[in-house]
Amino acid sequence: MLGRYVARRVLAAIPVFLGVTIVTFLLMHLTAGNYVPGLALNPDLTAKDIARIRANLGLDRPLYVQYLTWLGGILHGDFGTSLIDGTSVLGDILGRLPNTLELTGTAIFMGALVAIPLGVVSARRRGGALDNFLTLVSTVGFAVPQFWLGLLLILIFSVQFEAWHLPWLPSSGAYSAFNGGGPLDRLQHLILPGAVLSFFYISQWSRFVRSSMVEVLSQDYIRTAWAKGMSERRVTYLHALRNSILSLVTLVGLEIPGLIGGGLVVEVVFGWPGIGLLAYQRALQYDYTVVMGTTTFAALLVIVGNLLADVLYAWLDPRIRYR
Amino acid sequence: MIGSSPEIELEEGLEGREFVRPPESYWRQSWVRLRENRLALAAGGVVLFLAVVAIAAPLIQIPIHYGPLQQDLTDNFAPPFKAPHWLGTDELGRDVLIRLVFGARVSLGIGFLTVLIATTVGTAVGLAAGYYGRWTDEVLMRIVDVFLAFPAIFLFIGMSILFRPGTLTLSLIIASVGWAGVARLVRSETLTLKTRDYMLATRSLGARDLRLMVRHLLPNVLPILIVSASLGVGQIILIAAALDFLGLGIQPPTPSWGSMLSNAQTYFYHSPWLVIFPGLMIFITVLATTLFGNAVRDAFDPRLR
Amino acid sequence: MAEHLLEVRGLTTEFETRDGILRAVDRVDLYLDPGEILGIVGESGSGKTMTVLSIMRLVPRPGRVVAGEVIYRGRDLVQVSEQEMREVRGAEIAMIFQDPMTSLNPVFRTGWQVGEPLRLHKGMGLRDSIGQAARMFRQVGIPEAERRTANYPHEFSGGMRQRAMIAMGLTTAPPLLIADEPTTALDVTIQAQILELLREIASQFGTAIILITHNLGVVAGMCDRLMVMYAGRVVEEGATEGVFARPKHPYTWSLLRSIPRLDADEREPLHPIEGMPPDLTNLPSGCAFHPRCPFRIQRCIDERPELVALVDGQRAACWVTQAGTDLELAATGDAWGGDG
Repeated sequence: MLGRYVARRVLAAIPVFLGVTIVTFLLMHLTAGNYVPGLALNPDLTAKDIARIRANLGLDRPLYVQYLTWLGGILHGDFGTSLIDGTSVLGDILGRLPNTLELTGTAIFMGALVAIPLGVVSARRRGGALDNFLTLVSTVGFAVPQFWLGLLLILIFSVQFEAWHLPWLPSSGAYSAFNGGGPLDRLQHLILPGAVLSFFYISQWSRFVRSSMVEVLSQDYIRTAWAKGMSERRVTYLHALRNSILSLVTLVGLEIPGLIGGGLVVEVVFGWPGIGLLAYQRALQYDYTVVMGTTTFAALLVIVGNLLADVLYAWLDPRIRYR
Repeated sequence: MIGSSPEIELEEGLEGREFVRPPESYWRQSWVRLRENRLALAAGGVVLFLAVVAIAAPLIQIPIHYGPLQQDLTDNFAPPFKAPHWLGTDELGRDVLIRLVFGARVSLGIGFLTVLIATTVGTAVGLAAGYYGRWTDEVLMRIVDVFLAFPAIFLFIGMSILFRPGTLTLSLIIASVGWAGVARLVRSETLTLKTRDYMLATRSLGARDLRLMVRHLLPNVLPILIVSASLGVGQIILIAAALDFLGLGIQPPTPSWGSMLSNAQTYFYHSPWLVIFPGLMIFITVLATTLFGNAVRDAFDPRLR
Repeated sequence: MAEHLLEVRGLTTEFETRDGILRAVDRVDLYLDPGEILGIVGESGSGKTMTVLSIMRLVPRPGRVVAGEVIYRGRDLVQVSEQEMREVRGAEIAMIFQDPMTSLNPVFRTGWQVGEPLRLHKGMGLRDSIGQAARMFRQVGIPEAERRTANYPHEFSGGMRQRAMIAMGLTTAPPLLIADEPTTALDVTIQAQILELLREIASQFGTAIILITHNLGVVAGMCDRLMVMYAGRVVEEGATEGVFARPKHPYTWSLLRSIPRLDADEREPLHPIEGMPPDLTNLPSGCAFHPRCPFRIQRCIDERPELVALVDGQRAACWVTQAGTDLELAATGDAWGGDG
């Protein structure tokens, strides 16, 4: 039953994926498809040379042929090669992927870990001091630019702490260039970018958990749970939370594009060597095969993420499998 | 003494999820509700103030005596809170205050313009999809799905490189993704409205499609549009600032808060104010528009009635 | 009189609302003996549900019990700690609710939920409790009981869910079961089955039952005694037969006239009760029923009547019947004819 449900969701995702590749391809073609870095600037090249290079790169063929060639490559796991250094785009992406997953995963995990209990407590004590404080925090979290928050944290915990001779945190990269790479070193590098990203999730999700808990707590089956004579903790964290987590799962699934996009800005601020930073740096260099590859790959991550959220939801909610 | 009891939630009466065409008094009621909300008034006041500052930027320039692009290399990195540069100067000796004032033009301009474009396009698509249904709906909604599946920032990066944007192009770029959410919202609202009796009645009287959409559906989705638009402005200002910060938005030397921050990154070891002030401006602006947007939602959203 | 299983005295529950204090339960007295079935009848908003929720100490906020005692087996449940109260709920007093569609948690298997009271109160393990749940399923007439314990609530029909709710209430063999309109949300044929099940349970296990309903027909068939509530107050209480034969409160009398009776003359019209149920934040003076009462006298407007024993332990709160007037005679007599 669950299998068929998953199959249906996968089938529905295919046209979306094709649409994403078409948009990406057209966009990149318009942006930089006729452009080979440095080519026009090189006085030694004749028009004939340029034409030859373009032909070698396949840029003289009709648009749809180029698209299908590129798509066919992607389906075989071939995202092309970088125009800058000739390395495999997929190799570049896969090399950076663990870093991105480390950062985003940590932030999502920390976000959920903190947001859920905060949301539950403020739902139970609505209008209380904590609830009002969290409303304020979430509004602030919604309005504060992540890159600015990141810069402020660097200013305080790296720059000022160092100036005050306190133990300071590294502000850039995923590990130290010299003698780095150990677990502790990596953790130190993760703290600041992780804090910026998870602060954002905490401020959004704690409000969301709160409102869905408020709704769940007014349901009849919660009254049943009370009538069975169980503790407040059991009513809240077992009977109610299991239901309100369902909607959080959906929300996180829907927000995955935002999660990956938000990660990009933080990666840039903290020089975190993930996919976002790769795309950003290569975009500035007009390395459009890499940008196309990362965009498609990120969209693929989004689609897979949505799919996972759907499946997780179906797994958590027994009612959905039969729909 | 009476023993304590667990706090059980009383189910709140959720009526009025469905709503028929808003009566005239709907607008007045919403307006009264908005005016009664003091936080909303304060936030609205801040937004209004910033808008006035943005529009009057060239006038403000006169008493300050500095232009936003005017350099003074003999007086760079001047610290803040001292005359004549109350918020200090940057690496080229440009006055931070007047640059912030001109930056408001960029931020607010993009915020409102983008919302306008995205809402217009999204409403048109959503109305068409919801009204015509069948394959029109199917095709349009698949396209919407594609745009919602994109991590938007990657698209922005690509487009920004192509267009080297000014205010209008940056708005178009952000709106090119933003319309999809509006379209989905309007479509679902249209679907519920379409089943209403009065729609069928008007239709059977032979009203033309376009007329039906504009005269009957549009006024009904208007409350939801107002809510989504007022909540959208703040988020768009944030996105635009992020793009400026990444160097993909408004190009130097035009002052924008995001690009000021981006510049300041290099110098914040010795001149932290260059980081603090532009970020604060973004924060205050987005906070005010968001608080105002929340209040508008509370006052206008028919689903919360 | 020997000690009752449950005795409630002067129970009062109030809600603070924007329009002032709302007294949902107003000085309610009631008692219950083992194996007895007590029916509580009244319109919606009359305080039936709030009365039993007050007994269970499960009044939704902002409501709270402000006065009275609930003596259960010698202990005042209003005073005990929340910890002690938890041990009473589900173990000593079980409760089943009106809408079986929404009263079971959708994300847990039915067997898991039905066995939960055993795990909470009897220290039983997961496997044993689900095994016991299957036995209870058989007891309440759920076919294929073993297999059904692995189902989720949405895989059950409405009647099956209510059976599961009853099974859940009975797993711990509580001396007292409170059933809040257990059949209202069900089809008529299913209703009869569920009521039959409750009656069997009462006779077989000696479980005392409080049955809340707005259906007097249900009371007639099921209950030993009957209590009628109006505007948060008990207006009449007594043995079912006695109350049906000679109601001593005009509200009960009106209720009985407003239901179709099999033995009634076909030409005799039904008499719906005139007027609106009262606004609890703004109750009429004196007897709360007086604006709708065809028998009212000046005293009803001025002074609130107390619940007083009249005949055979039948009690009513009415100045008219306390003065010795027979409602049936008075209604047919000319003196009251123009007022009905």
